[in-house]
Amino acid sequence: MRRTFLIARREYMAYARTVGFWLSLLALPLFGVLGAFIPVLMERAEPTREVVIVDLTAAPQDGLVAPGVAIVQEIARADRQAEIDALARAARGAAGLQAADQVRAVAERDGLEAGRAELTRAAPVAAQGFTPPRPSLVVRGTPPELARAQDVAAAEAAARPLLSGENPRFDGVVLLTGEAAEPQARVWAAKADDRTIQNRVREALREQRRTNALIAAGVQPETLRRLESERPEVQMFSPNARSGGEVSMADRMPGLVGFLLGLILWSAVVTGASILLNSVMEEKANRVLEILLSSASPAEVLTGKVLGVAAITLTVLVVWGGFAAAGLGFAGQALPSVAQGFQAALGGLLEGGAVFWLIAYFIGGYLMYAVIFAAIGAFCETPRDAQSLVGPIMMILIVPIFTMQMAVRNPDLMAVKALSWVPFFTPFLMTARINSQPPLIELVGTLAVMVAMVVLMIWLAGKAFRAGALSTAKADWKTLLRLGRA
Amino acid sequence: MGAALILEHVGKRYGAFQAVKDLSFEVQKGEICGFLGPNGAGKTSTIRMILGLTNLDEGRISILGARDGRRVRDRLGFLPEERGLYKKMTPVDAIAYFGALKGLSMAEGRKRARGLLERQGLSESANKPLKALSKGMAQKVQLAAAVVHEPEFVILDEPFSGLDPVNQQGLEALIRDLARGGATVLFSTHVMQHAERLCDRVVLLAKGQKAFEGTVREARASVPRTLEMEGPALDAAALAALPGVIEVEASPEPEPGVRAFRISLAPGAATAEVLKAAFGRGFEISRFDVREASLHDAFIRLTGIEAETGQEAAR
Repeated sequence: MRRTFLIARREYMAYARTVGFWLSLLALPLFGVLGAFIPVLMERAEPTREVVIVDLTAAPQDGLVAPGVAIVQEIARADRQAEIDALARAARGAAGLQAADQVRAVAERDGLEAGRAELTRAAPVAAQGFTPPRPSLVVRGTPPELARAQDVAAAEAAARPLLSGENPRFDGVVLLTGEAAEPQARVWAAKADDRTIQNRVREALREQRRTNALIAAGVQPETLRRLESERPEVQMFSPNARSGGEVSMADRMPGLVGFLLGLILWSAVVTGASILLNSVMEEKANRVLEILLSSASPAEVLTGKVLGVAAITLTVLVVWGGFAAAGLGFAGQALPSVAQGFQAALGGLLEGGAVFWLIAYFIGGYLMYAVIFAAIGAFCETPRDAQSLVGPIMMILIVPIFTMQMAVRNPDLMAVKALSWVPFFTPFLMTARINSQPPLIELVGTLAVMVAMVVLMIWLAGKAFRAGALSTAKADWKTLLRLGRA
Repeated sequence: MGAALILEHVGKRYGAFQAVKDLSFEVQKGEICGFLGPNGAGKTSTIRMILGLTNLDEGRISILGARDGRRVRDRLGFLPEERGLYKKMTPVDAIAYFGALKGLSMAEGRKRARGLLERQGLSESANKPLKALSKGMAQKVQLAAAVVHEPEFVILDEPFSGLDPVNQQGLEALIRDLARGGATVLFSTHVMQHAERLCDRVVLLAKGQKAFEGTVREARASVPRTLEMEGPALDAAALAALPGVIEVEASPEPEPGVRAFRISLAPGAATAEVLKAAFGRGFEISRFDVREASLHDAFIRLTGIEAETGQEAAR
């Protein structure tokens, strides 16, 4: 016991004292935050494109929409829609799903001003920090040299200089030709790989044809505009929702939390196991393992190392948990509804006793993989030796990453249920499923199978560890299994 | 005194390969015993069985009264053949850690570590990471780690390999200190010179079997001493007739007109008696030289194997 503790403590200190350990500890939360902000930053950094429209089509028939006008209208519609989406998003984060629906409804019915007012009412803090998205496209007045052009060739000749050079005057020139009813567009862009203008023009012209077809069929333009802003109200209910009826943010969170916990377990297992592998490998390479085994039993050495690395992994989890709590506290102000949903989901884990199952799966999952990696390490002196042995196990470890996503979206899927019984996947899949209240028989059954596997693995790995520590045999699966059996 | 270590008919097989066969020997308390043999003779296998690191297939071992090294772990000190330590640890921490595994408190381990390092002239390096130390220094640290808990029985597997002659001498002094402090020392080596200087007794091992067990003097006595003689009119037949002579061999003439012979003496024959008889019979002897057998000679004679000479140690 004393020796086990000494070995565990040395193992812990050897890592906890290195700067690299703390750096890598901070790296994940840092990249997590960066990862969350990068899409937002990229959206913010999206430039506003300035385009000019040259309409060479004949004037349209009475009542019908000209293509140039259609493009301007489409741009306005898209900008408005983008702002409504942004308003709803801000409301959802801060005040929940219902508030978001409400803000969207008001904005669509009564306009953006009313939508902003509704956001201010529902979520004052979020409204204060709200900035409308920048328009992706604006139409500028046609410069005289383009306006003078009578045909496509002349217009294109005039357009070229406007789009060339270090700082082109415009980002795009849209030439509309052919019939007004069925126009063709030639989009000239300053950047050859920028397809935004092309896509928006195509969308606008499709809309124009639809509108014109409906008007030609006798539909009043007034009716069309009304239909445009129509938004049927659809609410979602479930007897299993937290409120007992209407589905809210709190109902979506548990699945996400389960997936996150599964991922955390997975990364803890992979990190812990590879630390253990490297540590045993170092001791094998410099023969410290032989001295250790002359000072303590193989079981004491193996247990000590596994516990020491468990303590390291626990430190990692605690630090990450600290970051998560801080993030949740911060989010509690900016996005109260997300934070509340999250807290409710975590609270649910405690209430339902699920946390005890989680702890059992965490410990079992960690032990199962840790002892395997330690046994492998006892046969290897270099990472190259270890590669062929670790490869198959890493392949096994990839499977839960994919199935965990399935388990969250559809926890009752037969494949997910079946894979949960495979001890190597049990800890990850059951963790991901924990919030969908799996039947007790599955909880107990999978845990029992896993525990049996853990016991078997500890026994086998213990033998392989002892054999490997003193052997100079080549490191491959055949040797490992043969020595494990001996 | 009593035996600290007894091996009785010990055998070890790896598959079809018999690494150790019917090996029996004893090491008395407080003595320095050399465990000699060429590479691959089964020394490391035997040491691992004594420590309880591997099981024996046949026979019985008794170490400090226990039948397995594992039962008396804390009273044993062990230095494995190929060595290394945790590269990032300091010598003081490493020595204290291994001491703690053997039952010392960390504080006591640190205190003793500083004392041991000072005696080895390593005070300045006591708190540097081990990777900053030279190989010889690291080896001294490792030896200190093996004996910090003042074990009753110390097993050193090839302790001299990789050390320069100065450090080899330091190590010899250290082993003598251990024995003077009452510890029993068993060390393996394939370099005979160290054993010759250090050991009370030696066990010779060849191809997994014991070839000899006894004192260094006894080992040497198993090889006939030789007497070299030169003279202008010496005669092989006359020399062979001298008492105690078992064989006479002619050597190349050192200079024209001078004949040289190499005379092997029977075990126990007194050199002085042989010489007295030669002069008494009126032989004209211009030069004579008595050559004592070395442990190396004894080893070759006892095992029939050409052992590596001391030259390797100086490399």
